[in-house]
Amino acid sequence: MNALWWFALPVLLLPIWWHRKKRVQNEAALMATARFLPRTEPRQTRMWRWSDPLLLVARCLLLACLIAWLADPVYPWRGDTVVIVEGSDAAWVEQQATQAGLAQAERVTLAAAQALGWVHTHEREWQAGARLLVLGDVPMPAATPVFGRQVEVRTRQALAKPADYHVHIASDRLDAWRRVFAAPAGPDRIVIDATPGAATSLIVWDRPEAPPATLRASLWLVTDPAAFPELAQAPAVDGLRYADSPRGRLWHRAGWPPPTPDAARALLDDWQQLHVGPRPFTMQSQVFAASNGANAPAPGGVLRDILLAALVILFAIERSLAHARRR
Amino acid sequence: MALAGSALIAHTTNLDLVIRHVLAGLGHGIHAGRERGAGVEFSEYRAYVPGDEWRRVDWKLAARADRYFVREAERDSHVAVWLVLDASASMAEPSHHVDGVDKLAYARTLLGCVAAIAQRQGDAFGLIVLADGKVSFTPALRGPRQLQRVLAALERAAPSGHLPDADTLKASLHFAQSPSVIFAASDLLDWPSPLSQALLRLRQMRHDVRVLCLQTQAEAEASFPATQAYRDPEQEEGVFRFGADLRDGYRRNREAHYGAVTAGCRKHDVPLLLAAIEQAPGDVLRRWLRRPGR
Repeated sequence: MNALWWFALPVLLLPIWWHRKKRVQNEAALMATARFLPRTEPRQTRMWRWSDPLLLVARCLLLACLIAWLADPVYPWRGDTVVIVEGSDAAWVEQQATQAGLAQAERVTLAAAQALGWVHTHEREWQAGARLLVLGDVPMPAATPVFGRQVEVRTRQALAKPADYHVHIASDRLDAWRRVFAAPAGPDRIVIDATPGAATSLIVWDRPEAPPATLRASLWLVTDPAAFPELAQAPAVDGLRYADSPRGRLWHRAGWPPPTPDAARALLDDWQQLHVGPRPFTMQSQVFAASNGANAPAPGGVLRDILLAALVILFAIERSLAHARRR
Repeated sequence: MALAGSALIAHTTNLDLVIRHVLAGLGHGIHAGRERGAGVEFSEYRAYVPGDEWRRVDWKLAARADRYFVREAERDSHVAVWLVLDASASMAEPSHHVDGVDKLAYARTLLGCVAAIAQRQGDAFGLIVLADGKVSFTPALRGPRQLQRVLAALERAAPSGHLPDADTLKASLHFAQSPSVIFAASDLLDWPSPLSQALLRLRQMRHDVRVLCLQTQAEAEASFPATQAYRDPEQEEGVFRFGADLRDGYRRNREAHYGAVTAGCRKHDVPLLLAAIEQAPGDVLRRWLRRPGR
């Protein structure tokens, strides 16, 4: 959209038009005996002469700079680049880069989730012939990424770092609840906190009285809805009632703690999917060909600071010259 | 002489120097005093009539001829010389053949020469400069300081504007009481004009009027460059072109104009000298000073 500002470039014709001297009459020599000649039509020649060429240049540059600032252009300055996902094995990265012939290329290290998005956002910054290689444990995006240039992705699954999820159980039926959180799927661990802290993401509230107002967690499993007025009108899905409160999201199902291992696993899966999120799946190594239909996102204004400085300087120069001309 | 031509006018701005250069080798004298009387230079004898002074009787001749004769000498002149300079804008016309010479500089030199000659032979001389519709008047006096005054006034004259109108000019011709010689230098592009009427009127008052009409070689030969546009210096608007197709018409108009000028001068017995400013000023001056009819 910004690029539409380039259509404003004909504005440069205005100062050019203003600074062009109008018609220039032919220089007439004096001739005392001209009275013996018939009078002729004065011939005028149109000549392109400039008044104040310095000021004209300053004004044209100023306008061009302003339009460029508005259009926010992207200057392709990046050469061959290897984008490395954080936590990748250095030896493997070196081997892959050498194999691809990019051992000397610039290295950019990014978080795994941002790698492809960053490449897409900045893809206009690479020069036309530059090669781009993404290395590491790149998670599979939801939609197939489309790039305006060829991007090679080589992936290797990194060892998953086990994450800890802190759970606080406020219940008299502590063993029943501990069994629920005993056997989670995957490498993640569940830590039962004796007292709720800042890391606590799940609180089981199996008491009739209301919890303290300061207690907060992203999810509450509530057995007695009487303590939580938000649950009174809450909608239900498959018998699970849910509501949002200042303390966090509240879930309630009659008959908790889950009586069977299947019910417990279903509850943990729901929690995993809706609050913890799925574990990223490593993408397959592949080469994305350049796509003509790829729309690179709007540039982030990399050159805007430089252009703004130039704009200010040119404005000062233009004002000074215009003032000097009037004096 | 390397600088005998009109290029010497362009050579220096010192009018005095140019005049000395032009006058070098040029004979003295503009006119001979016509009146006879007591003086140094002998003219003729005359028979004594009662009332003549005895000291003017030539006693040696009386002894030889037994009659009284009185020596008549040419009296010192009291003819005033008046220099009239046309400094209208058209006098700025430069020569296309000699760089740095224009009609006004040429006229200035020749009038300066005339003033120097008049000063040498003891005549009173004055200057009238006609420029920009005004008349500037330097009264007639004798002597070397008057020469410097006149030369300074000549150097001050810059070409501008038109000739003064008839009333202004008429009011300025009070000098014409005593017999005088009037040297007028102009381009005579306006004819009849207040200047021409004044000169003819002065001639009718029995003054010796000598008119120098200055031209350029280019205008006489109709050889202006055709690549340029031209403008009349005395008219604000109007652009003129010169070309081979216009040359005949230009010549015809010019000859008709100067034919009328010459005829008018001849009719009123005013000697007119047509001179190109590319000619050597000494020659032109000699022809201008030569008594007409001789």
